[in-house]
Amino acid sequence: MNKSEYLNKLTNELGHMPYGDVKDIIQSMEEHFDEGVSEGRSEEEIAASLGDPAELAAEFKDGAKFKQVMKRRKLSDNFKGPDGRSRIFVILFNVFLGVWCWVILLAAIFAAFMCLAGDAAVIGLIVAGLITGVLTEFLVPFIFLILTLVCVAVFLIALLILGIKYYAKGLKGYIRWNKNVWNYGLGED
Amino acid sequence: MNSQIKKGILDLCVLALLEKGDSYGYDLAGSLARKVEVADGTVYPILRKLASEGVVSTYLQESQNGPPRKYYHLTDAGRNKLNSDRDEWIKFCGEVNGILERETGGQADEQE
Repeated sequence: MNKSEYLNKLTNELGHMPYGDVKDIIQSMEEHFDEGVSEGRSEEEIAASLGDPAELAAEFKDGAKFKQVMKRRKLSDNFKGPDGRSRIFVILFNVFLGVWCWVILLAAIFAAFMCLAGDAAVIGLIVAGLITGVLTEFLVPFIFLILTLVCVAVFLIALLILGIKYYAKGLKGYIRWNKNVWNYGLGED
Repeated sequence: MNSQIKKGILDLCVLALLEKGDSYGYDLAGSLARKVEVADGTVYPILRKLASEGVVSTYLQESQNGPPRKYYHLTDAGRNKLNSDRDEWIKFCGEVNGILERETGGQADEQE
């Protein structure tokens, strides 16, 4: 393993430590390589003597846990580095697209619900008209109309049940996806 | 040796190395790895942790060849910690050795 391979591996293993900390650590290790090289050692030799990058990263993380307890992170740290980029992406994606999609779908469900209410109201009016005897002409067409409207109502109810079910499911998944991107990035590593 | 036992005491070793004077990462890594069986990299997480605890401070100093080196300095808090931890460790070692030596002594008697 040469210097850049070692540093890349270490960076990856450090994962989601705050960007500033990762930069600082990599800088120290870079300095270590440069000192060693100036003594005439090979990069491979230095990398080997530094030890397994995964283990080293774990030791850095152990130390950082302590630090996090001691010092709370600044708000601006959330938006720095690769993690910061994916967080900014989450915010922009939601503001321009994500949230609106869910609002439109919710509006569609609401519209279907209103249609159902309107449908039920018309059925109610016609039935009331028939029972009270207000409607005396075109009885057969009215009965057909009622049957048609009942079919529409059944269709709308089925649509609403499925719609709400999948909306809830989808929204839950979408929120989970957002959280993942927020915490762990877009999965490029 | 068990790495858990080592881990706890290496902080103290790094503090002791810094007691002799300020030093930079590469030098400390070498000094530590020469005396204790650990990877050269081990010193860096320790230095970071010690710096975050405030027992060690850092500053940059130009080097003859190449970019400036990050030097580590033992603070007063670090010196106090080193002294009290060192006493404690030496006392503890004495106690542990007392137990271990008696054990091996007993075995030696049996062998005679």
